[in-house]
Amino acid sequence: MLEIKSLTKSYGDVLALDHFSLELKKGEVLGLLGPNGAGKTTLISILAGSLRDFTGGVSFLGKDLFSDRSLKNRMGIVPQDMAFYEELNAADNLLFWGGLYDVPRADLKKRAAEILEMVELSGRSKEPVKNFSGGMKRRLNTAIGLLHKPDLLLLDEPTVGIDVQAKVSILDLIRKVGAAGTGVIFTTHQLAEVEDTCSRIAIMDRGRILAQGTLVELIRLVGEKDIVEITGEFAAAAFSEALVDLDGDGVELLSASDNQAALAVSDTDRIPKILDRLFRRKLAVTDLKIKTPNLEAVFLKLTGRSLRD
Amino acid sequence: MRRLWLILKTDARRHLKSPLTIIIYIIIPVAMTGLIGVIFAPSSGDGTLPPIRVVLVDRDKGLASRLFLGAFDAEQVKKMFQVTTAGEAEGRAMMEKGKASAMVVIPERFSLDLLEIKPVFLEVVKNPAERFLPDITEEFVQTTAVMLSAAVQAFEPEARGVRAMLDAPVDAFPWEALAPELGKAQKKIASAAKYLDPLLLNVKEEKTKAAGAKVNLTRTDIFSTILPGMAIMFLLFIVQTVMRDMISEREDGKLRRMLTTPLRPSELIGARILGGWAMGLSILLVMAAFGTMVYNAHWGPFGYFLTLVVVVSFWSAAFFALMNALVRNRNQAGVLSAPIILGFSLFGGSLMNPEAMPKAFRAVGIVTPNRWFVDGAAAVRDGRFPAVPLLILAVSGLILLLLAVPALRRRSTV
Repeated sequence: MLEIKSLTKSYGDVLALDHFSLELKKGEVLGLLGPNGAGKTTLISILAGSLRDFTGGVSFLGKDLFSDRSLKNRMGIVPQDMAFYEELNAADNLLFWGGLYDVPRADLKKRAAEILEMVELSGRSKEPVKNFSGGMKRRLNTAIGLLHKPDLLLLDEPTVGIDVQAKVSILDLIRKVGAAGTGVIFTTHQLAEVEDTCSRIAIMDRGRILAQGTLVELIRLVGEKDIVEITGEFAAAAFSEALVDLDGDGVELLSASDNQAALAVSDTDRIPKILDRLFRRKLAVTDLKIKTPNLEAVFLKLTGRSLRD
Repeated sequence: MRRLWLILKTDARRHLKSPLTIIIYIIIPVAMTGLIGVIFAPSSGDGTLPPIRVVLVDRDKGLASRLFLGAFDAEQVKKMFQVTTAGEAEGRAMMEKGKASAMVVIPERFSLDLLEIKPVFLEVVKNPAERFLPDITEEFVQTTAVMLSAAVQAFEPEARGVRAMLDAPVDAFPWEALAPELGKAQKKIASAAKYLDPLLLNVKEEKTKAAGAKVNLTRTDIFSTILPGMAIMFLLFIVQTVMRDMISEREDGKLRRMLTTPLRPSELIGARILGGWAMGLSILLVMAAFGTMVYNAHWGPFGYFLTLVVVVSFWSAAFFALMNALVRNRNQAGVLSAPIILGFSLFGGSLMNPEAMPKAFRAVGIVTPNRWFVDGAAAVRDGRFPAVPLLILAVSGLILLLLAVPALRRRSTV
């Protein structure tokens, strides 16, 4: 349904997208996972048509996305910003934003009522949006993107700054939309969200996709190894040097910075040996955490840094 | 086009949902007009102006000058003017102290030149601080001068006869010779009585009418003069308030979202400019209606006035479209717009009568919409079509629009 080929976009010297390629099938929910600055919003903005001056191409439903304006009717966008009129009520907002698409006038009111029901706002549809809570506004923001029943829904961090209940509601909505056959790309830096919601996950950093697949496929990338996170008082170089001869002996250095490092170990039996090497070199360890393989471990392995960095 | 109307309709609905700003912007100019009007308007119960203080300087002291000065003694005119006779230096000193609105100087040889049918000049020195009062004096003097001039020309042979007698010493003045001259004049008047009688009456009547239209200036007239200046100033504030949405939408992501829909940038830009234009037009008409209802202000022929309002609203929308396309953010727009509007208002005659301004101010004023709207409104009030103000506002508005559209297009995408 959607094929992105070698998209490249830079802001001055900063490369936001670096020959980015991706495919999405009908009904697939793709979680685009990456830290801040990975290029997620740039990708969504290009697909939404609000960014220019890039190279590469995008085919949507077999047509060039940027030369066929009618394709905009087949695509729904949920931006990170709460982009609607706060002084209007939810129903009027839906009628306005829906009216910008080629939805038949007669269908528009009916669809607005349906979508308000879906996002659990029908009881407050006549109330000015400025009175809504953050979670309700997020749900309305999402509803606007769905009103015209798009074939592709792009959501840019749709759960930012809302409470758990609202987050669950939005993620549930995304799952339902996917199940109904709409292709979904949603960006986030929340691991739990993609683990629970997406049929496929793509990990991106510095404008490129590092790996993609189902959750199980991605975890296989780090093997069965546990992740050991060590905090202490040491320099990155000294830490790496202390463990250099353990590389290949069931210990893999994932990342090392001053006072913090991450290792993948095939067996937790290797941990005393690791600590012994560090103590011998007089490198103080203040904390040590062992994690079983998960998406965060995958991310760490692929990017060499935590998603929170 | 459907989307353009949808945006316009939604914007109107949004503004009507929180109309406080617009209401304030309508009320303030009307209230300020009232305040200024009350200060400058006469406080007498009949609503007429107090007598205008005029200094008369008679350097001639001849027959014609006495005749001219006599015009100020007429009963009706006495109600209009409070006349002081003085020397020129004394008169100027009175004006500088604000004790007179105007000074009329009758030159030397005024009577002789007039009787010799030579062109003569009356000098009217006006005190700009007295706003329109000196203009009233000037009009009265002009009307009287026309009358006198017409009378002298009608009685040219008799005037020359009298002139010849004036060369004789006073002691030897040939009074007996004056009788035939007067007799001839009398016959001429009698033979032309059919025309002259009504002519004389007409002249007098016209004088009263020409001057009287302003002499009998009521508060209503003063409000009608002040309100256009106030209205254009607040029109600019309102149009900018409405059009600042363009920047807000850019900042809060609504613009980006709109452009992800099939909406074309041209439709969006069109809607924004039309919206500002329509809002300006509606508000200005509401202000005018308020002015009529509250102050009984008169605007002149409605068609002319409407044309002027349509064009000045268009100018305002085009100007702020360009400004909002050039500024970076809402704060910058806020910081810039107030001084620009106040500058326009100060130099353009919204806050001060342009005639009372220094020359440099007046020169700057011609680049402001306020000046042309105020001038245009004055012309319409006098029943004239405001061709020049309309042309200038329309052409400059179009230029602004042509500059604004590509700038806004550039701003629509990153």
